[in-house]
Amino acid sequence: MKKVKIIAGICWAFAGLILIIILFPGLNSYSVSVSKLPFMKLNPRYTGGEIASQIITGSCTLDIRKPVFNGFLKDRKSGFVQLDWRGNIPGMIIYSIDYDTDGNKDFCISVNRKESKTNLESFNPKVKGVVISTHTSYGWSVRVGLLK
Amino acid sequence: MTDSLILGLSSGSACIATCGMVMFPYLMSGSAGVKRIALDLTLFLMTRFLVYFILATLSWYFGQALFSNPVVRNIVPGILYMVFAVLLVWYSISKNSNPDCPAKFLKTVNNHRLVPILLGIVNSLGFCPALFIILTKGATQGTLIQSYVAFLAFFIGSSLWFLPLPLVGKIRKKEVLRNIGILATGLAGIIFMIKGLTNIIGGILNG
Amino acid sequence: MDNNVKIEGMRKSFGKSLLYTLPMFLITFMFMTGGKPNFSDLSTALALGSAFLLVNILYFLMHFTGKTDRYRAILFIIFALSLSYTLISNMLEVRKSMSFSQADILECKIPFCHLVIPMMILPAAFTKSIIFPGSIIGGFANISSMVVLWLVATLVLGRGFCSWGCFYGGWDDGFSRLRKRPVVKKISELWKWMPFAVLIMVMLTAALTLVPTYCSWICPFKAVTEFEQVTSVESATKAGIFLSLFGGLVIALPVMTKKRTQCSFLCPLGAINTLSNKITPFAVKIDKNSCTGCFKCVEVCPLFALTREDIKAGKVSLFCSKCGKCVDVCSKKAIHYGIRGIPAGTMKNFSRNLFLFVSFLFMAIFSAGAIISTFQGLLKLIF
Repeated sequence: MKKVKIIAGICWAFAGLILIIILFPGLNSYSVSVSKLPFMKLNPRYTGGEIASQIITGSCTLDIRKPVFNGFLKDRKSGFVQLDWRGNIPGMIIYSIDYDTDGNKDFCISVNRKESKTNLESFNPKVKGVVISTHTSYGWSVRVGLLK
Repeated sequence: MTDSLILGLSSGSACIATCGMVMFPYLMSGSAGVKRIALDLTLFLMTRFLVYFILATLSWYFGQALFSNPVVRNIVPGILYMVFAVLLVWYSISKNSNPDCPAKFLKTVNNHRLVPILLGIVNSLGFCPALFIILTKGATQGTLIQSYVAFLAFFIGSSLWFLPLPLVGKIRKKEVLRNIGILATGLAGIIFMIKGLTNIIGGILNG
Repeated sequence: MDNNVKIEGMRKSFGKSLLYTLPMFLITFMFMTGGKPNFSDLSTALALGSAFLLVNILYFLMHFTGKTDRYRAILFIIFALSLSYTLISNMLEVRKSMSFSQADILECKIPFCHLVIPMMILPAAFTKSIIFPGSIIGGFANISSMVVLWLVATLVLGRGFCSWGCFYGGWDDGFSRLRKRPVVKKISELWKWMPFAVLIMVMLTAALTLVPTYCSWICPFKAVTEFEQVTSVESATKAGIFLSLFGGLVIALPVMTKKRTQCSFLCPLGAINTLSNKITPFAVKIDKNSCTGCFKCVEVCPLFALTREDIKAGKVSLFCSKCGKCVDVCSKKAIHYGIRGIPAGTMKNFSRNLFLFVSFLFMAIFSAGAIISTFQGLLKLIF
C-alpha cells in the first residue's frame, strides 16, 4: 500500500509537470474550448443586451437593444435599454424611441455630442432617466434606466 | 432586499456559531427522532417569523412618524447605519473573545414544548446590532410591504443557518466555521458602514 | 533518488547545478523566442536576453545554493513590478490615464485578472453568464485564457499559485522583506480566516448584485493597475477604500509584521487556493525525526501556515503557499518539499527538484511577457 501511494504520488507530480509544460503552447486552443462552454458569455448587464432593432439614417446606424432586467434568480424591477450609434454620427442626435415595440414612443433622447450633454423627455412612466451617455470607439452609447 | 439578505446571512452565521451549540441540546432533548426535531425547528422558525413580522410593522410606522422630511430620511438613517455597523463590528470581535448566548437561561424552563417558542422569541429579539440595522432599514422603507420584504430577506438569510442544526453533531471543525462566521458578521458591519456613509453624504448633497 | 541528504542543505555542485538548469534553459528559450529567435531589433534582443538570463541565473542559484525563497522572491517581485509597469504605461499611452471610463466598461475592454474568479462562480452557475466587462476570447488578458491558466496552476501548485504565479503577491512579498525584524510580532490566529469570510461575502454580494464586488469596491491592487474614473461620491469612496487598503495591507502591515498581510487577511482567491492545496501533488512536509522544535519556521512563515502545535504534530496547514522560507531557514532540513504519497523525510532532493522545476517553469513563462516588455520600456527610457 505504501509503495502504491508513493508511485501514485510521483505519477500525479509528473502529470502536473506535463500539464505545466503543455499549458502555455496550447493556451490559445484551450481558451477557445473554454470559451465555448455554455456559461462563457458576458451578462447582458455588461454587453447591453441583444440588438432588437436598427434605425439607419444615411450613414448613421442606431442599434436599439433589448431591455435588460436580468437578475440573479429572476428579473429585477429596474433595468435599462441601451442605444448605440455607429457610423457617421451628427453632432446633435435627436431620436424618439419605442423600446417596448408597442407602437407608442416611450422617450425622446437628445445628445449634444460636442458639449457631451444629454437630455431625455419621457412619455412613459416606466422610463426613469439617463444612466450612462458616453462617447465610444464606435460612436456613442446611451443607457436609459427603466422600470419593469 | 439584497443587503437585508446579506445582513441576515452574515449575522446568522455568528448567531448560530454561539447560540446554535446551546440551542441544539434544547431542540434535541426528549426527542425520539427526526420528526420531533423538525417540529421543534419549525416552531422556532415560525416564532422568529412572527416576531419579525411585528417588528417590521412597528418599525415602518415609527419611521413614517419620525422620518417625514426627505433629508432627515437620508441623514438620520445614515448615521444610525454607521453607529450600528460599528456596533456590529465590535459585536463580532466580542463574540470571538466572549462567546455567550442569551438563550442559556432556558436551562431553567421545565416545559419542553415551550422551549422552541421561547428560543424563537429570544433569538429574534436578541437586539444585536444586526437587528438594529434591519429595524432602521424597515423604518426608512417607502411602503409597509417594502418593510416586510426587507425583514423577510433578513429572516431568510439568518434562518438558512439554522436548517442544518440537526446535523451539527456530524460537522467537524466547528471552531473554524465559528471564526469565519464571526468575521463575516464584522464584514457585513463594514458594508453597512459604507452604506451609511453614502446615505449621509447623499443626504447632505441633496439637502 | 537521494534519501541521504547532507545536513548543510540541498546544495549541488556547479556542474550539477548547470545540468539541472539545462532543461529550464531550453524550455524558457523556446517560449521566450517562440521558437524563432529574432535579434534584429537591438532593444528587443537586449530585453529578451536580460529576461532570459535573469530567469535562468535565478534557477541555477536555487540549485547551487540550496536556497529557494530568496531567488523565488526576486523573480516574483520583479514580475509584480513589471506587470504594473506594463499595464500603466500601456494605459497612459492609449488612454492618457490610469482610470477606465464608462465607455471602456460598455465596450467590455477591461482586462481580466484571476481575482475575479471567485465572484464569477455563482452567477455563472445560475445565470449562465460572466459578470465582468471583459473579453471572453481574444485580446489582452481575456477571460478564457486567465481561467485556464489559473485552473491548471491551482490544480498543480495549489496555494503555491500565491507564491509562484500571482502577479500581485510580489507587492506585499516585497514590502514584507524591507525590515530585518518585525515591529509587530503577535497577530491573532483568528485573522487568517478572514479571506474565507471575504470569499463568502464577495461571492454572495456579487451573485446578488451581478457586480464583481471585490474588484469594484475593495481590491487594493487597483492602486497599481487601473481603476474607475472618479466622477461621483460612490467612485470617490471606492478610490478611498482601495488606496487605504493598499497603503495598509500591502505596504504598512507587511513592513511592520514581515508577513504577507494582503494575501493572508483579504484575498478571496487565496481562500479558494487554500482549499485546492488538498488535491495538489506537491506539499511541504515535516520530518518529525529530524525536527528539533526550534520553531524558526513558524516565525518566518509569511502566511500563518505554521503553528507550534502543527510542527509538534508534524503537519503543515492548508495555508502553505510553498514559498520555501521555512525550508530555507531550517538548519536540520526537517521541513522540506515533498510529494503527496511519499512519507515525510524521504526523497527530499527528488521532491524539491521536481517541485522547483514545475513551479519555477510556470512562473518564468507566465512572467516572461511582462518582464521583457518592462525591460524594453526601460531601455527606451535610458537610450
